[in-house]
Amino acid sequence: MRYTEFTPFDIVLLAQGLGVSVGLFLATTVIGLLIGTLWAVVRFYRVPVLTQVITFVAELLKNSPVLVQLFLVFFGFPAFFHINLGPVEAAVITLSGNTAAFVYVIAVSAIESIGRDQIEAARAFGLTKWQVLRHIIAPQAMAFAIGPLTGLLVNQLQVTSLISVIGVMDLTKIGNILNLRTLKPFIVWAVVGVLYYLAAKLIAYAGATLERRLRAHTAWKGL
Amino acid sequence: MIKAQSVRKVFGSVTVLDGVDLTVAPGEVVSILGSSGSGKSTLIRCINGLERLDGGSITVDDFDVSKPKELAEARKRSGTVFQMFNLYPHMTALQNVTLAPVEVLKRPKAEAEAEGRALLASVGLADRADAFPSQLSGGQRQRVGICRALAMKPRYLLLDEVTSALDPEMTADVLDILAKLAKEGTTMVFVTHEIEFARTISSRVVFLEKGRLVVDLPTEQFFAADGGLANPRIAQFLSKMRKD
Ligand SMILES: Nc1ncnc2c1ncn2[C@@H]1O[C@H](COP(=O)(O)OP(=O)(O)O)[C@@H](O)[C@H]1O
Ligand SMILES: [Mg+2]
Repeated sequence: MRYTEFTPFDIVLLAQGLGVSVGLFLATTVIGLLIGTLWAVVRFYRVPVLTQVITFVAELLKNSPVLVQLFLVFFGFPAFFHINLGPVEAAVITLSGNTAAFVYVIAVSAIESIGRDQIEAARAFGLTKWQVLRHIIAPQAMAFAIGPLTGLLVNQLQVTSLISVIGVMDLTKIGNILNLRTLKPFIVWAVVGVLYYLAAKLIAYAGATLERRLRAHTAWKGL
Repeated sequence: MIKAQSVRKVFGSVTVLDGVDLTVAPGEVVSILGSSGSGKSTLIRCINGLERLDGGSITVDDFDVSKPKELAEARKRSGTVFQMFNLYPHMTALQNVTLAPVEVLKRPKAEAEAEGRALLASVGLADRADAFPSQLSGGQRQRVGICRALAMKPRYLLLDEVTSALDPEMTADVLDILAKLAKEGTTMVFVTHEIEFARTISSRVVFLEKGRLVVDLPTEQFFAADGGLANPRIAQFLSKMRKD
Protein backbone atom coordinates (compact mmCIF):
# COMPACT_ATOMS: atom_id res chain seq x y z
CA MET A 1 0.00 0.00 0.00
CA ARG A 2 1.28 3.53 -0.79
CA TYR A 3 1.23 6.50 1.43
CA THR A 4 0.12 9.24 -0.95
CA GLU A 5 -0.36 12.09 1.52
CA PHE A 6 2.35 14.69 2.18
CA THR A 7 3.94 14.44 5.61
CA PRO A 8 5.95 17.01 7.60
CA PHE A 9 8.98 14.81 6.97
CA ASP A 10 8.75 15.67 3.26
CA ILE A 11 9.81 19.18 4.13
CA VAL A 12 12.95 17.77 5.75
CA LEU A 13 13.57 15.72 2.62
CA LEU A 14 13.18 18.78 0.40
CA ALA A 15 15.46 20.77 2.65
CA GLN A 16 18.07 18.01 2.44
CA GLY A 17 17.76 17.91 -1.32
CA LEU A 18 18.11 21.67 -1.52
CA GLY A 19 21.15 21.44 0.75
CA VAL A 20 22.78 18.87 -1.51
CA SER A 21 22.07 20.92 -4.62
CA VAL A 22 23.31 24.16 -3.11
CA GLY A 23 26.30 22.45 -1.50
CA LEU A 24 27.34 20.85 -4.79
CA PHE A 25 26.74 24.12 -6.56
CA LEU A 26 28.91 26.06 -4.12
CA ALA A 27 31.71 23.50 -4.10
CA THR A 28 31.84 23.19 -7.89
CA THR A 29 31.60 26.98 -8.23
CA VAL A 30 34.61 27.53 -6.00
CA ILE A 31 36.63 24.81 -7.76
CA GLY A 32 35.47 25.98 -11.19
CA LEU A 33 36.33 29.62 -10.45
CA LEU A 34 39.79 28.66 -9.21
CA ILE A 35 40.59 26.36 -12.13
CA GLY A 36 39.06 28.60 -14.79
CA THR A 37 40.93 31.64 -13.47
CA LEU A 38 44.15 29.67 -13.22
CA TRP A 39 43.75 28.57 -16.84
CA ALA A 40 43.24 32.19 -17.87
CA VAL A 41 46.40 33.19 -16.01
CA VAL A 42 48.35 30.44 -17.77
CA ARG A 43 47.08 31.83 -21.04
CA PHE A 44 48.01 35.37 -19.95
CA TYR A 45 51.59 34.17 -19.45
CA ARG A 46 51.38 32.44 -22.84
CA VAL A 47 52.85 29.26 -21.40
CA PRO A 48 53.60 27.21 -24.50
CA VAL A 49 51.80 23.87 -25.02
CA LEU A 50 49.87 24.21 -21.76
CA THR A 51 47.91 27.15 -23.17
CA GLN A 52 46.94 25.17 -26.25
CA VAL A 53 45.98 22.16 -24.15
CA ILE A 54 43.78 24.30 -21.92
CA THR A 55 42.06 25.98 -24.84
CA PHE A 56 41.38 22.58 -26.38
CA VAL A 57 40.00 21.09 -23.15
CA ALA A 58 37.84 24.16 -22.52
CA GLU A 59 36.46 23.89 -26.06
CA LEU A 60 35.56 20.24 -25.48
CA LEU A 61 33.85 20.98 -22.17
CA LYS A 62 31.94 23.96 -23.54
CA ASN A 63 30.67 22.23 -26.65
CA SER A 64 29.41 18.90 -25.34
CA PRO A 65 26.35 18.21 -23.20
CA VAL A 66 27.00 18.17 -19.47
CA LEU A 67 24.95 14.98 -19.21
CA VAL A 68 27.29 13.22 -21.63
CA GLN A 69 30.30 14.47 -19.63
CA LEU A 70 28.65 13.21 -16.46
CA PHE A 71 28.15 9.72 -17.94
CA LEU A 72 31.70 9.71 -19.26
CA VAL A 73 33.05 10.47 -15.80
CA PHE A 74 30.68 8.26 -13.84
CA PHE A 75 30.84 5.22 -16.11
CA GLY A 76 34.05 5.96 -18.00
CA PHE A 77 36.47 6.56 -15.14
CA PRO A 78 35.88 3.16 -13.51
CA ALA A 79 36.13 1.42 -16.87
CA PHE A 80 39.24 3.17 -18.21
CA PHE A 81 41.21 4.26 -15.18
CA HIS A 82 39.89 1.68 -12.72
CA ILE A 83 38.95 4.50 -10.36
CA ASN A 84 35.66 3.90 -8.62
CA LEU A 85 33.69 7.08 -8.25
CA GLY A 86 30.61 7.65 -6.16
CA PRO A 87 27.85 9.71 -7.75
CA VAL A 88 28.74 12.77 -5.68
CA GLU A 89 32.40 12.61 -6.68
CA ALA A 90 31.47 12.18 -10.33
CA ALA A 91 29.11 15.13 -10.03
CA VAL A 92 31.76 17.35 -8.42
CA ILE A 93 34.34 16.51 -11.09
CA THR A 94 31.96 17.05 -13.99
CA LEU A 95 30.32 20.24 -12.79
CA SER A 96 33.63 21.78 -11.67
CA GLY A 97 35.16 21.09 -15.07
CA ASN A 98 32.17 22.51 -16.86
CA THR A 99 32.09 25.66 -14.73
CA ALA A 100 35.86 26.05 -15.16
CA ALA A 101 35.54 25.98 -18.94
CA PHE A 102 33.00 28.81 -18.97
CA VAL A 103 34.84 30.80 -16.28
CA TYR A 104 37.95 30.48 -18.46
CA VAL A 105 36.15 32.00 -21.44
CA ILE A 106 34.80 34.88 -19.36
CA ALA A 107 38.15 35.50 -17.64
CA VAL A 108 40.05 35.51 -20.93
CA SER A 109 37.74 38.06 -22.50
CA ALA A 110 37.79 40.14 -19.30
CA ILE A 111 41.59 40.19 -19.36
CA GLU A 112 41.63 41.05 -23.04
CA SER A 113 39.18 43.89 -22.49
CA ILE A 114 41.81 45.87 -20.59
CA GLY A 115 43.47 48.50 -22.79
CA ARG A 116 46.96 47.64 -24.03
CA ASP A 117 48.19 51.18 -23.40
CA GLN A 118 47.82 51.14 -19.62
CA ILE A 119 49.48 47.75 -19.44
CA GLU A 120 52.40 49.03 -21.48
CA ALA A 121 52.69 52.06 -19.21
CA ALA A 122 52.88 49.83 -16.16
CA ARG A 123 55.47 47.61 -17.85
CA ALA A 124 57.56 50.63 -18.83
CA PHE A 125 57.61 51.66 -15.18
CA GLY A 126 59.07 48.30 -14.31
CA LEU A 127 56.07 46.43 -12.94
CA THR A 128 56.38 42.70 -13.48
CA LYS A 129 53.78 40.78 -15.43
CA TRP A 130 52.38 39.51 -12.16
CA GLN A 131 52.16 43.01 -10.67
CA VAL A 132 50.39 44.20 -13.81
CA LEU A 133 47.95 41.32 -13.52
CA ARG A 134 47.33 41.99 -9.87
CA HIS A 135 47.09 45.79 -9.84
CA ILE A 136 46.03 46.80 -13.33
CA ILE A 137 44.22 43.90 -14.95
CA ALA A 138 42.52 42.02 -12.11
CA PRO A 139 40.52 44.88 -10.57
CA GLN A 140 39.20 46.04 -13.93
CA ALA A 141 38.68 42.53 -15.30
CA MET A 142 36.69 41.66 -12.18
CA ALA A 143 34.31 44.57 -12.69
CA PHE A 144 34.00 43.48 -16.32
CA ALA A 145 33.44 39.79 -15.56
CA ILE A 146 31.06 39.91 -12.63
CA GLY A 147 27.96 40.33 -14.80
CA PRO A 148 28.66 37.40 -17.16
CA LEU A 149 29.82 35.31 -14.18
CA THR A 150 26.55 35.86 -12.34
CA GLY A 151 24.66 34.77 -15.45
CA LEU A 152 26.86 31.70 -15.74
CA LEU A 153 26.39 30.68 -12.10
CA VAL A 154 22.60 31.06 -12.22
CA ASN A 155 22.70 28.69 -15.17
CA GLN A 156 25.11 26.28 -13.48
CA LEU A 157 22.74 26.01 -10.53
CA GLN A 158 20.05 24.72 -12.89
CA VAL A 159 22.59 22.38 -14.49
CA THR A 160 23.15 20.68 -11.12
CA SER A 161 19.71 19.08 -11.53
CA LEU A 162 21.24 16.75 -14.14
CA ILE A 163 23.21 14.89 -11.50
CA SER A 164 20.01 13.34 -10.16
CA VAL A 165 20.20 10.82 -13.01
CA ILE A 166 23.27 9.15 -11.52
CA GLY A 167 21.60 8.90 -8.13
CA VAL A 168 22.78 11.98 -6.25
CA MET A 169 20.09 12.90 -3.71
CA ASP A 170 19.76 16.47 -4.88
CA LEU A 171 16.64 18.58 -4.99
CA THR A 172 15.49 17.15 -8.31
CA LYS A 173 16.02 13.58 -7.13
CA ILE A 174 13.99 14.27 -4.01
CA GLY A 175 11.32 15.81 -6.17
CA ASN A 176 11.29 12.65 -8.23
CA ILE A 177 10.92 10.46 -5.14
CA LEU A 178 8.10 12.58 -3.71
CA ASN A 179 6.38 12.61 -7.06
CA LEU A 180 6.47 8.85 -7.41
CA ARG A 181 5.12 8.40 -3.93
CA THR A 182 2.41 11.04 -3.81
CA LEU A 183 1.45 11.06 -7.50
CA LYS A 184 0.93 14.80 -7.21
CA PRO A 185 3.39 16.05 -9.86
CA PHE A 186 1.93 19.50 -10.13
CA ILE A 187 2.44 20.30 -6.47
CA VAL A 188 5.79 18.59 -6.11
CA TRP A 189 7.44 20.10 -9.18
CA ALA A 190 5.96 23.52 -8.48
CA VAL A 191 7.53 23.48 -5.01
CA VAL A 192 10.85 22.20 -6.38
CA GLY A 193 10.77 24.82 -9.11
CA VAL A 194 10.15 27.61 -6.63
CA LEU A 195 13.07 26.43 -4.50
CA TYR A 196 15.42 26.53 -7.52
CA TYR A 197 14.00 29.90 -8.43
CA LEU A 198 14.65 31.34 -4.99
CA ALA A 199 18.20 29.98 -4.93
CA ALA A 200 18.85 31.45 -8.40
CA LYS A 201 17.47 34.81 -7.31
CA LEU A 202 19.79 34.75 -4.34
CA ILE A 203 22.79 34.21 -6.64
CA ALA A 204 21.68 37.02 -8.95
CA TYR A 205 21.21 39.31 -5.99
CA ALA A 206 24.63 38.49 -4.57
CA GLY A 207 26.19 39.08 -7.99
CA ALA A 208 24.47 42.44 -8.39
CA THR A 209 25.51 43.53 -4.92
CA LEU A 210 29.11 42.53 -5.56
CA GLU A 211 29.11 44.32 -8.88
CA ARG A 212 27.79 47.50 -7.33
CA ARG A 213 30.42 47.31 -4.64
CA LEU A 214 33.23 46.66 -7.11
CA ARG A 215 32.24 49.65 -9.17
CA ALA A 216 31.50 51.90 -6.21
CA HIS A 217 34.87 51.06 -4.71
CA THR A 218 36.60 52.39 -7.79
CA ALA A 219 33.92 54.96 -8.64
CA TRP A 220 35.17 54.16 -12.10
CA LYS A 221 32.97 55.47 -14.83
CA GLY A 222 34.47 53.57 -17.73
CA LEU A 223 36.94 54.77 -20.29
CA MET B 1 73.92 57.73 -20.10
CA ILE B 2 71.50 56.34 -22.65
CA LYS B 3 73.41 54.75 -25.49
CA ALA B 4 71.71 53.46 -28.60
CA GLN B 5 74.00 51.84 -31.14
CA SER B 6 73.02 50.78 -34.65
CA VAL B 7 69.47 50.15 -33.47
CA ARG B 8 67.32 48.28 -35.95
CA LYS B 9 63.63 47.61 -35.62
CA VAL B 10 61.54 45.81 -38.19
CA PHE B 11 57.77 45.42 -38.34
CA GLY B 12 57.01 42.70 -40.86
CA SER B 13 58.80 43.77 -44.00
CA VAL B 14 59.10 47.43 -42.95
CA THR B 15 62.33 48.65 -41.40
CA VAL B 16 61.17 51.26 -38.93
CA LEU B 17 64.55 52.00 -37.30
CA ASP B 18 67.56 51.58 -39.49
CA GLY B 19 70.89 51.83 -37.71
CA VAL B 20 70.08 54.55 -35.20
CA ASP B 21 72.91 55.85 -33.01
CA LEU B 22 72.00 58.16 -30.16
CA THR B 23 73.71 59.08 -26.93
CA VAL B 24 72.05 61.05 -24.17
CA ALA B 25 74.24 62.19 -21.30
CA PRO B 26 72.91 63.21 -17.88
CA GLY B 27 71.73 66.82 -17.89
CA GLU B 28 71.03 66.93 -21.59
CA VAL B 29 67.69 67.69 -23.16
CA VAL B 30 67.63 65.98 -26.53
CA SER B 31 64.71 66.73 -28.80
CA ILE B 32 63.77 64.24 -31.46
CA LEU B 33 62.10 65.74 -34.49
CA GLY B 34 60.81 64.01 -37.57
CA SER B 35 57.65 63.66 -39.55
CA SER B 36 54.90 61.29 -38.60
CA GLY B 37 55.89 57.67 -39.16
CA SER B 38 59.62 58.36 -39.08
CA GLY B 39 60.07 56.06 -36.08
CA LYS B 40 60.20 58.47 -33.13
CA SER B 41 57.75 56.58 -30.94
CA THR B 42 59.37 53.29 -31.85
CA LEU B 43 62.75 54.63 -30.73
CA ILE B 44 61.29 55.67 -27.36
CA ARG B 45 59.61 52.27 -27.05
CA CYS B 46 62.90 50.56 -27.74
CA ILE B 47 64.60 52.56 -25.00
CA ASN B 48 61.98 51.64 -22.38
CA GLY B 49 61.88 48.04 -23.53
CA LEU B 50 58.35 47.98 -24.92
CA GLU B 51 59.75 46.84 -28.27
CA ARG B 52 62.39 44.20 -28.81
CA LEU B 53 65.34 45.24 -30.95
CA ASP B 54 66.05 43.48 -34.21
CA GLY B 55 69.62 44.69 -34.24
CA GLY B 56 72.10 46.89 -32.41
CA SER B 57 71.92 47.61 -28.71
CA ILE B 58 70.56 50.08 -26.20
CA THR B 59 71.98 50.57 -22.74
CA VAL B 60 70.66 52.78 -19.98
CA ASP B 61 73.43 53.47 -17.48
CA ASP B 62 75.15 50.38 -18.90
CA PHE B 63 72.10 48.17 -18.37
CA ASP B 64 71.27 46.37 -21.59
CA VAL B 65 67.55 46.62 -22.33
CA SER B 66 67.68 43.43 -24.38
CA LYS B 67 68.47 41.35 -21.31
CA PRO B 68 65.39 40.81 -19.14
CA LYS B 69 67.28 41.10 -15.84
CA GLU B 70 69.01 44.30 -16.88
CA LEU B 71 65.85 45.72 -18.41
CA ALA B 72 64.28 45.81 -14.95
CA GLU B 73 67.17 48.00 -13.78
CA ALA B 74 67.09 50.11 -16.93
CA ARG B 75 63.40 50.73 -16.42
CA LYS B 76 63.99 52.03 -12.90
CA ARG B 77 66.17 54.71 -14.45
CA SER B 78 63.83 56.01 -17.09
CA GLY B 79 60.31 57.34 -16.79
CA THR B 80 58.02 57.57 -19.79
CA VAL B 81 55.29 60.10 -20.44
CA PHE B 82 52.92 58.95 -23.17
CA GLN B 83 51.13 60.79 -25.92
CA MET B 84 47.75 59.40 -24.92
CA PHE B 85 48.54 59.59 -21.15
CA ASN B 86 47.97 55.84 -20.65
CA LEU B 87 46.78 56.35 -17.08
CA TYR B 88 45.28 53.49 -15.09
CA PRO B 89 41.55 54.33 -15.29
CA HIS B 90 40.52 52.47 -12.14
CA MET B 91 42.97 54.34 -9.94
CA THR B 92 42.90 57.89 -8.61
CA ALA B 93 45.50 60.42 -9.72
CA LEU B 94 47.43 59.74 -6.54
CA GLN B 95 47.25 55.97 -6.95
CA ASN B 96 48.45 56.33 -10.53
CA VAL B 97 51.47 58.20 -9.21
CA THR B 98 52.31 55.91 -6.28
CA LEU B 99 51.80 52.48 -7.85
CA ALA B 100 55.26 52.06 -9.36
CA PRO B 101 57.23 53.61 -6.47
CA VAL B 102 55.52 51.24 -4.04
CA GLU B 103 55.59 48.11 -6.22
CA VAL B 104 58.84 48.53 -8.12
CA LEU B 105 61.00 50.64 -5.81
CA LYS B 106 59.41 49.10 -2.68
CA ARG B 107 58.93 52.53 -1.13
CA PRO B 108 56.77 52.64 2.02
CA LYS B 109 53.24 53.53 1.01
CA ALA B 110 52.86 56.52 3.32
CA GLU B 111 56.08 58.06 2.05
CA ALA B 112 55.17 57.46 -1.58
CA GLU B 113 51.78 59.06 -0.98
CA ALA B 114 53.25 62.12 0.70
CA GLU B 115 55.65 62.56 -2.20
CA GLY B 116 52.90 61.86 -4.72
CA ARG B 117 50.71 64.56 -3.21
CA ALA B 118 53.60 67.01 -3.23
CA LEU B 119 54.28 66.21 -6.90
CA LEU B 120 50.64 66.67 -7.83
CA ALA B 121 50.59 69.94 -5.92
CA SER B 122 53.66 71.11 -7.82
CA VAL B 123 51.74 70.81 -11.09
CA GLY B 124 48.63 72.48 -9.70
CA LEU B 125 46.66 69.32 -8.96
CA ALA B 126 46.68 69.39 -5.16
CA ASP B 127 42.89 69.23 -4.98
CA ARG B 128 42.56 66.61 -7.75
CA ALA B 129 44.70 63.92 -6.13
CA ASP B 130 41.69 61.72 -5.39
CA ALA B 131 40.00 62.18 -8.75
CA PHE B 132 39.87 59.40 -11.32
CA PRO B 133 41.32 59.99 -14.79
CA SER B 134 37.80 60.05 -16.27
CA GLN B 135 37.09 63.06 -14.06
CA LEU B 136 40.10 65.03 -15.30
CA SER B 137 40.66 67.15 -18.39
CA GLY B 138 43.28 66.12 -20.94
CA GLY B 139 45.78 68.63 -19.62
CA GLN B 140 45.22 67.47 -16.06
CA ARG B 141 45.63 63.84 -17.13
CA GLN B 142 48.92 64.59 -18.79
CA ARG B 143 50.12 66.41 -15.70
CA VAL B 144 49.28 63.29 -13.73
CA GLY B 145 51.22 61.34 -16.37
CA ILE B 146 54.25 63.55 -15.77
CA CYS B 147 53.96 63.15 -11.99
CA ARG B 148 53.69 59.39 -12.42
CA ALA B 149 57.00 59.42 -14.27
CA LEU B 150 58.68 61.85 -11.87
CA ALA B 151 57.59 59.80 -8.85
CA MET B 152 60.10 57.17 -9.91
CA LYS B 153 62.85 59.77 -9.62
CA PRO B 154 64.06 58.74 -13.04
CA ARG B 155 67.42 59.80 -14.33
CA TYR B 156 65.95 60.06 -17.80
CA LEU B 157 62.55 61.33 -18.73
CA LEU B 158 61.25 59.96 -22.02
CA LEU B 159 58.51 62.12 -23.49
CA ASP B 160 56.64 61.02 -26.60
CA GLU B 161 54.60 63.86 -28.09
CA VAL B 162 53.14 64.55 -24.69
CA THR B 163 51.17 67.60 -25.84
CA SER B 164 49.86 66.46 -29.21
CA ALA B 165 46.58 65.24 -27.76
CA LEU B 166 45.99 68.55 -25.97
CA ASP B 167 44.43 71.83 -27.01
CA PRO B 168 46.70 74.90 -27.09
CA GLU B 169 45.84 76.17 -23.63
CA MET B 170 46.50 72.83 -21.97
CA THR B 171 49.62 72.43 -24.08
CA ALA B 172 50.98 75.64 -22.61
CA ASP B 173 50.36 74.33 -19.06
CA VAL B 174 52.24 71.13 -19.76
CA LEU B 175 55.10 72.83 -21.58
CA ASP B 176 55.56 75.20 -18.64
CA ILE B 177 56.09 72.21 -16.40
CA LEU B 178 58.61 70.69 -18.82
CA ALA B 179 60.49 73.99 -19.08
CA LYS B 180 60.76 74.07 -15.32
CA LEU B 181 62.03 70.49 -15.25
CA ALA B 182 64.59 71.31 -17.93
CA LYS B 183 65.79 74.27 -15.94
CA GLU B 184 66.23 72.03 -12.91
CA GLY B 185 68.58 69.88 -14.94
CA THR B 186 66.26 66.95 -15.65
CA THR B 187 67.58 64.78 -18.46
CA MET B 188 65.01 64.45 -21.18
CA VAL B 189 64.50 62.69 -24.44
CA PHE B 190 61.82 64.78 -25.95
CA VAL B 191 59.85 63.70 -29.01
CA THR B 192 57.82 66.68 -30.13
CA HIS B 193 56.25 68.73 -32.86
CA GLU B 194 56.56 71.88 -30.73
CA ILE B 195 59.53 73.20 -32.68
CA GLU B 196 59.87 76.58 -30.99
CA PHE B 197 59.59 75.04 -27.56
CA ALA B 198 62.15 72.38 -28.43
CA ARG B 199 64.47 75.14 -29.53
CA THR B 200 64.24 76.89 -26.17
CA ILE B 201 64.76 73.89 -23.91
CA SER B 202 66.97 71.50 -25.88
CA SER B 203 70.68 71.16 -25.67
CA ARG B 204 70.65 69.01 -28.80
CA VAL B 205 68.24 68.30 -31.59
CA VAL B 206 68.19 65.15 -33.69
CA PHE B 207 66.19 64.53 -36.82
CA LEU B 208 64.73 61.17 -37.79
CA GLU B 209 63.79 60.41 -41.34
CA LYS B 210 62.40 57.05 -42.38
CA GLY B 211 64.04 55.32 -39.48
CA ARG B 212 67.43 56.91 -39.99
CA LEU B 213 68.87 59.48 -37.64
CA VAL B 214 70.08 61.90 -40.27
CA VAL B 215 71.13 64.88 -38.15
CA ASP B 216 72.35 65.20 -34.57
CA LEU B 217 73.45 68.73 -33.69
CA PRO B 218 73.59 71.16 -30.78
CA THR B 219 70.38 73.18 -30.82
CA GLU B 220 71.86 76.40 -32.13
CA GLN B 221 73.59 74.67 -35.01
CA PHE B 222 70.50 72.67 -35.84
CA PHE B 223 68.53 75.84 -36.42
CA ALA B 224 71.38 77.69 -38.15
CA ALA B 225 71.16 78.33 -41.86
CA ASP B 226 74.50 76.64 -42.46
CA GLY B 227 73.74 73.85 -39.95
CA GLY B 228 70.64 71.66 -39.87
CA LEU B 229 68.73 74.02 -42.13
CA ALA B 230 71.24 73.36 -44.86
CA ASN B 231 69.55 69.96 -45.18
CA PRO B 232 66.59 70.59 -47.49
CA ARG B 233 64.46 67.91 -45.83
CA ILE B 234 64.86 69.55 -42.45
CA ALA B 235 64.21 73.04 -43.82
CA GLN B 236 61.07 71.70 -45.45
CA PHE B 237 59.97 69.92 -42.29
CA LEU B 238 60.51 72.98 -40.12
CA SER B 239 58.69 75.36 -42.40
CA LYS B 240 55.77 72.93 -42.64
CA MET B 241 55.62 72.56 -38.85
CA ARG B 242 55.73 76.32 -38.30
CA LYS B 243 52.86 76.89 -40.69
CA ASP B 244 50.58 74.56 -38.68
N1 LIG C 1 53.29 47.63 -33.72
C1 LIG C 1 53.51 48.00 -35.02
N2 LIG C 1 53.26 47.15 -36.02
C2 LIG C 1 53.48 47.47 -37.30
N3 LIG C 1 53.95 48.67 -37.69
C3 LIG C 1 54.21 49.58 -36.73
C4 LIG C 1 54.00 49.30 -35.35
N4 LIG C 1 54.36 50.38 -34.63
C5 LIG C 1 54.76 51.30 -35.53
N5 LIG C 1 54.68 50.83 -36.78
C6 LIG C 1 55.08 51.55 -38.01
O1 LIG C 1 56.38 52.02 -37.81
C7 LIG C 1 56.52 53.30 -38.39
C8 LIG C 1 57.03 54.27 -37.36
O2 LIG C 1 56.05 54.47 -36.39
P1 LIG C 1 56.25 55.41 -35.15
O3 LIG C 1 57.49 55.04 -34.45
O4 LIG C 1 55.00 55.41 -34.37
O5 LIG C 1 56.44 56.82 -35.87
P2 LIG C 1 56.35 58.27 -35.26
O6 LIG C 1 56.24 58.18 -33.78
O7 LIG C 1 57.60 58.94 -35.71
O8 LIG C 1 55.15 58.90 -35.89
C9 LIG C 1 55.18 53.67 -38.97
O9 LIG C 1 55.21 53.40 -40.34
C10 LIG C 1 54.23 52.77 -38.26
O10 LIG C 1 53.15 52.47 -39.09
MG1 LIG D 1 54.69 58.79 -32.53
